[in-house]
Amino acid sequence: MIIKSTCKSCHGGCGVLITVENGLITYIEGDPDHPNSHGTMCAKGLASIQHVNNPNRLKYPLKRSGKKGEGKWKRISWEEALETVSEKMKAAIAEFGSNAVAIGQGTTRGYTRYTTRFVNSIGSGNRLTPGYVCFLPRVFINKAMFGGRLYSDLHGWGGEYPKTIILWAKQAEWVNDNGELSVNFLRALERAKNLIIVDPRVTALTSRATIWLNPRFGTDAALALGMLNVIINEKLHDHEFVNDWCHGFDQLKTRAKAYPPEKVSKITWIPERKIIQAAQMFARDIPGTIMIGNPVEAQTNATQTLRAIMSLLAITGNIERPGSSVQWIPPPTGNIQVQFGSEIPISAENIKTLTGADKYKLICSGKGGCHPDTLFKELKEGNTKVKVMHLAGSNPLCAYANTRDVLAGMLKLEFLSVADLFMSPTAEYADIVLPVAHWLEMDDIGDMPAGFVVSAVNKAVDPPGEAWPDNKIFNELGNRVAPQYWFKDIEAMLDYQLKKSKITWKQFSKQGYLASTGEEQIYYKHKTDYFRKNRGFNTNTGKIELYSTALKSMGYDPLPYYVEPEESPYSTPELYKEFPLILSTGGRVPYYFHGQYRQIPWLRALQPYPIVQIHPDTAKIHGIENGDWVWIETQRGRIKQKAKLFEGMDPRYVIAQSSWWYPEKKGPLHGVLESNTNVITSNEFFDPATGAPNFRALLCKIYKLGKDK
Amino acid sequence: MRKVLFFDKDKCISCYACVIACKVKNDSVPIPVCPPEAEPYGPDRINIFQYGPVMDGDRVNQFFQPASCRHCADAPCIKNCPESAIYKDTQFNITLVDRTRCIGCQTCLQVCPFGAPAFDEMGKLTLCNMCIDRLKQELKTACEAACPAGAIKTGTDKEISIMQGRKVIEKIGKA
Repeated sequence: MIIKSTCKSCHGGCGVLITVENGLITYIEGDPDHPNSHGTMCAKGLASIQHVNNPNRLKYPLKRSGKKGEGKWKRISWEEALETVSEKMKAAIAEFGSNAVAIGQGTTRGYTRYTTRFVNSIGSGNRLTPGYVCFLPRVFINKAMFGGRLYSDLHGWGGEYPKTIILWAKQAEWVNDNGELSVNFLRALERAKNLIIVDPRVTALTSRATIWLNPRFGTDAALALGMLNVIINEKLHDHEFVNDWCHGFDQLKTRAKAYPPEKVSKITWIPERKIIQAAQMFARDIPGTIMIGNPVEAQTNATQTLRAIMSLLAITGNIERPGSSVQWIPPPTGNIQVQFGSEIPISAENIKTLTGADKYKLICSGKGGCHPDTLFKELKEGNTKVKVMHLAGSNPLCAYANTRDVLAGMLKLEFLSVADLFMSPTAEYADIVLPVAHWLEMDDIGDMPAGFVVSAVNKAVDPPGEAWPDNKIFNELGNRVAPQYWFKDIEAMLDYQLKKSKITWKQFSKQGYLASTGEEQIYYKHKTDYFRKNRGFNTNTGKIELYSTALKSMGYDPLPYYVEPEESPYSTPELYKEFPLILSTGGRVPYYFHGQYRQIPWLRALQPYPIVQIHPDTAKIHGIENGDWVWIETQRGRIKQKAKLFEGMDPRYVIAQSSWWYPEKKGPLHGVLESNTNVITSNEFFDPATGAPNFRALLCKIYKLGKDK
Repeated sequence: MRKVLFFDKDKCISCYACVIACKVKNDSVPIPVCPPEAEPYGPDRINIFQYGPVMDGDRVNQFFQPASCRHCADAPCIKNCPESAIYKDTQFNITLVDRTRCIGCQTCLQVCPFGAPAFDEMGKLTLCNMCIDRLKQELKTACEAACPAGAIKTGTDKEISIMQGRKVIEKIGKA
């Protein structure tokens, strides 16, 4: 029997064909008919076959029977688990108000709609998500500037493909862009004339790049402003588009004057001629698009960096034309994340008092959740309103800055429940642990936020033991805490989400997907009444806001600017003497997804230990050879990873891999303090609007294990 | 009809989808224990070799070469196998292994110009079989189907040769 489903091993959502024989999965492959993934699949998704029946899976609800983190558990019934969790929530809400309950999630493998709906349904603004350093800043700045989420038009539905593609801190060959899958990017790349890569180090595609710009970590805003300067100075911008559809060009022009290429070259360490070349190329060879990666969001100047990069798209007229950056017309279901996830309003009072709302106004505005770093710091200091926390697929001990502070804060919670596939370091410290079904074991709708497709996640096999899908857990908890917003069963809940498309879950499940592709996608929508009445964009001014009235009203600079990272050779020269290397914690591999999949044999075999990239010249100075274990030390502490000598970057850089823990090592920590980069990141400085800490530009020193100084 | 499994080093992005797709297809029982606690974890029929990056001013020299059994027409492994455990399929000219005959002497590894032979936990030879059962159903090989980069193609030698020729022309045209 072959079952059609949708992979949720990352946020992508590739179509999958699963062969099931006698209740066992015998084969898994991509679905060639899927409108987004076209039959391709990645190592993570394919290795899902090793998730099911993995002996380390959580199988039954567990209740802590020893001290926190002692590893003593008692198996309990779902009834007892749900009663305990919901009673703790209700008691905290009654005594301290809804914001006393925080609902946390990991990287949106299909459950975001449920965490959002749940937290809204109980009236709390404290949704805890890593979104503030990944994806949400892009979405919120997109919204402020263009009125909606921009996607790169890689599909040729308007008759044109991008002529110039900029990958800005993005390895689009490996990762999805929240649903824009690498297969579509790589196909578009075959047709593109120019590929401009902005990345401090060589990636898998650098040898194919027309121009490679390697800015010093944390200086992307300066580079983008320098490119804006060149384009405006040389009058290469799209005059008609800017005149008709952009607000604040003159102010942007004045701002960009402060960033001539000569100055930008000194900041970014990129030769002046390359900055000029890239700017000219992007302005001349149109249509073009920019795919922006998470590294620019994981910096303390995230907001203005995104503003500057997105302004490049606007002034070159690369918006809404075929082959540029566009807002997709959603599938017939509409945007179910918004319709279902965010439909229940939270009170203005709870938005005003959610953790971080007084500071990080762009994200902590009622739609993007709370500020995780502030929450854990307040917990640690004992001055928070949050008493009860429930986490779905989230491992804050890996995800958030300064792991030791996160742990200290977590231990102060009155009650913590964690729903996960495996016993993570975070789950070890919980009061109740709930076993979760894998996507191969559940019915759900796989959505692509504000994208063009939704597809069915169809259950192929039963989960092990008593594991439940996330959607069922939230529905059951919802029915206990805020019954008016929840459903009689999963099918009713899925029907409800599909209501706009006028088909039922049963029909959708069979059909497989709903998509708006080809001629259903309309371009130049701002010239129609699609975004708003009387044409234009859905922003405050009805135009693309180069000068952002939205940011201004929140008290932020309405124009992009550059600031030096808090730790750098220039801002902290004394510190630089002691820590003479620039550290990025952005190392990733295509077969792990953040803290996940170290339990999967095929994947772990590809790279059993964390790897830190060190330039051969630097390694030589420190007597480090390929494969040596090295300490990476910052002001906050030190971690160890294995050295990989890597020529493709500046000798002053060190690039460590993030999110490492060792499932095979002893609990409760499972080695989460040994190699996890967040042990050495800082929770002291943040982007003023998004609250992002700096994960990409810190100062460190390195030395071989055993050579402690 | 002689089939070729072609790996394009100019397109490969080293994502390892092919390596895992191959394991899903060919290694039936997943071993539950992870490295580093335990090896082995099944043979790699496909390996991805990386060259570089070597920096040369503005130029970056780097490529990834996935490689499996080349299914040589006049295969040294077949000629040298003392137990005649390696043979050719008559339909596509694919090199196949008779596990019952293989004694695990690794003579094939000694003579293979590409280092393709891999050995399973029993020490017996395992080779890419070009997903022969899928080819017979006119399906793509597991690795080709998974590859997002279009870096893997199965075809007759003539088809591959034309595809490569066309690529050169397009490159000249674009430049």
